[in-house]
Amino acid sequence: MSSGAVFGVFIVIAVIAIVVIVFLGNYRLRDTLPQASVTARGYVIRRYWLGLTLVVAIAAFITTLSYLPYSQPRIQARHYFVVARQFSFGLPKVVPLGTPIVFDVTSADVNHGFGIYTPSGNVFAQVQAMPDYVNHLQVVFTVAGHYSVRCLEYCGIAHAAMQGGFEVR
Amino acid sequence: MKPLSVTLPAIGLRVMWTYIATGLAIFLLMLLVGISMRGSQAGWWTIEPGTFYSLLSLHGIGMLTAMVVAGLGTLWYLVSRETGLDARVAYLAYAFFVAGVACVIVSIVPGHYGALWSMLYPLPFTGTYWPTWATGAWLVGTALVMLGFMIWCGQILGALLARYGGLGGVLAVDYVLHNRAFAKLDHEPPPPQIFAAAITAIDGLIAGTAGLTVGVALIVRWLDPTVAIDPLWAKNLTYLFGHTFANLTMYMAVAGIYVGLPICTRRAYHTSVPLVLAWWGTLLFVIIAYFHHLYMDFVQAESLKLVGELASFLAAIPVVVITVYGAVLLVHRSGMRWTLGSMFLFTGLIGWVVGGAAAVLDSTIPFNVDLHNTLWVPAHFHTYLLEGVVLFTLGWVFVNLEQRAGASSGALIRWLAGLGVFGGGALFVLGFYIAGAAGVPRRYAVEPPPGPYLAGIATVGAILVLVGLLVVAYEALRLARLPRSEVAP
Repeated sequence: MSSGAVFGVFIVIAVIAIVVIVFLGNYRLRDTLPQASVTARGYVIRRYWLGLTLVVAIAAFITTLSYLPYSQPRIQARHYFVVARQFSFGLPKVVPLGTPIVFDVTSADVNHGFGIYTPSGNVFAQVQAMPDYVNHLQVVFTVAGHYSVRCLEYCGIAHAAMQGGFEVR
Repeated sequence: MKPLSVTLPAIGLRVMWTYIATGLAIFLLMLLVGISMRGSQAGWWTIEPGTFYSLLSLHGIGMLTAMVVAGLGTLWYLVSRETGLDARVAYLAYAFFVAGVACVIVSIVPGHYGALWSMLYPLPFTGTYWPTWATGAWLVGTALVMLGFMIWCGQILGALLARYGGLGGVLAVDYVLHNRAFAKLDHEPPPPQIFAAAITAIDGLIAGTAGLTVGVALIVRWLDPTVAIDPLWAKNLTYLFGHTFANLTMYMAVAGIYVGLPICTRRAYHTSVPLVLAWWGTLLFVIIAYFHHLYMDFVQAESLKLVGELASFLAAIPVVVITVYGAVLLVHRSGMRWTLGSMFLFTGLIGWVVGGAAAVLDSTIPFNVDLHNTLWVPAHFHTYLLEGVVLFTLGWVFVNLEQRAGASSGALIRWLAGLGVFGGGALFVLGFYIAGAAGVPRRYAVEPPPGPYLAGIATVGAILVLVGLLVVAYEALRLARLPRSEVAP
């Protein structure tokens, strides 16, 4: 799901939450009922509400298991070593289109974020660049063009200027 | 079970108002710092990157300390109504907070420290633009804040253990597992706000220990530059402390709901078995959800990421099924009047749910790939803090002021305050959300498009919040100056 779709889901949830909470708070507020009668009905509804939220949470968790981006890199994939340092990236100039590749990402100094942006400016993939560790980011580029790279972990005074890029063809 | 001894209400109130006034004063100052940064990102004025990151460091630790101090004050008072507490310990913790804030200010103003509040080792030592002593002042300052927090946690947990007969009593284990026998013995479980205090104290001690551990390691590294620290170890402890410290602010502020809303609705908020179970869940989930901060560290075990995701999902259930749902039931058809106190407490529920929903989306692993360290992150926690914790705190303040004065505010004041704080706040966080969804990175002194345009909208929203808060402050002072009344508003 794209981040635009996630934003859409969020707006729907937010609007529903606001409408429901405001409605239930204001609905016949002056037409009072004893607390016991409100809770008697409310606790029955709560059982269903608990069931629904538990089902959604567990279903979402199980669904996401098939989308884990941390799988071990394929042996046959081509590897590119990426070194981040204050305030630049050591990157390949060109990477191939349509084949699995692995970025082996590390840092020469502090923590950085290796964030790949598509030619249209959306986040494509990311991983942390950490000193003393190598993170393996496996991707397949399906659209050719210039991909920019931005640092996505605060690293110092020129953090916002820490950029790079490569061609996919 | 009767209280063993109870602190004099006047002493408890004095401690509470000292903490709350300090927290809200720091909050207002940090709001000005935030507006200056957002306006700079919008291009309305220029703050050069070094100063920007120093201000961002101050804003982050300042806001969290403000919310923590205000929340701890409220809880201290509420616990003091149940059992004896020594106010000197509360003031000792307060002194640690003040000393810590003073050190942080020294590190920022003359020192220009700029590694942010939750810096990841090898920051703040490598490639810095500030003197080494400023790093030391920052580390000592944040350690003092942590120590103040842990002193509070230790005092509260100790008092609750004594009052309720051990951890099982505090967590109402017999009440849940042997409910009928418990009722036959005429025992009563702790009231809801005690769970907020206990979970804050227990998780606070765990998180504080993690924070102090990495803090001491960093201080040792500051004293001896040859010392090496494992970056992944430091990152885990930093997020364990940072996530828990930030998350607990909400669970502190929710005590205002448990005690404040019943005053507004003239109904009771009782402890129930589902409520206790919800707090047991919260006790665990708040601590282990932090793994979601390390999704992008692929070297970290995959199982821990799954624990982080599941805990993040499950942490939402006690919120929406028990606390928020219970609060809405409390208000529903209660005949409650809308005053500033009840309005803030009630609208804070919305901020909690909306900010929480955004957090759950971000903690969903496939979405996090797109949202991690974008402006979506400050979007969710500003919603949670500004439209949740701050509103709960203001609500609690006004419930007390209205009750004391036997008066409340007019409709015009309520609308101005509501539109400013809630409406302006919504506009403010919307700028973050849209930019985050567009992939604009967080913590950029100069943002790529569409960041600056959205920062402009957000700055307008933040200024509206400031105007709303000035109305709120005026009204608070007006109510505080009214003579004490015995008649409820």
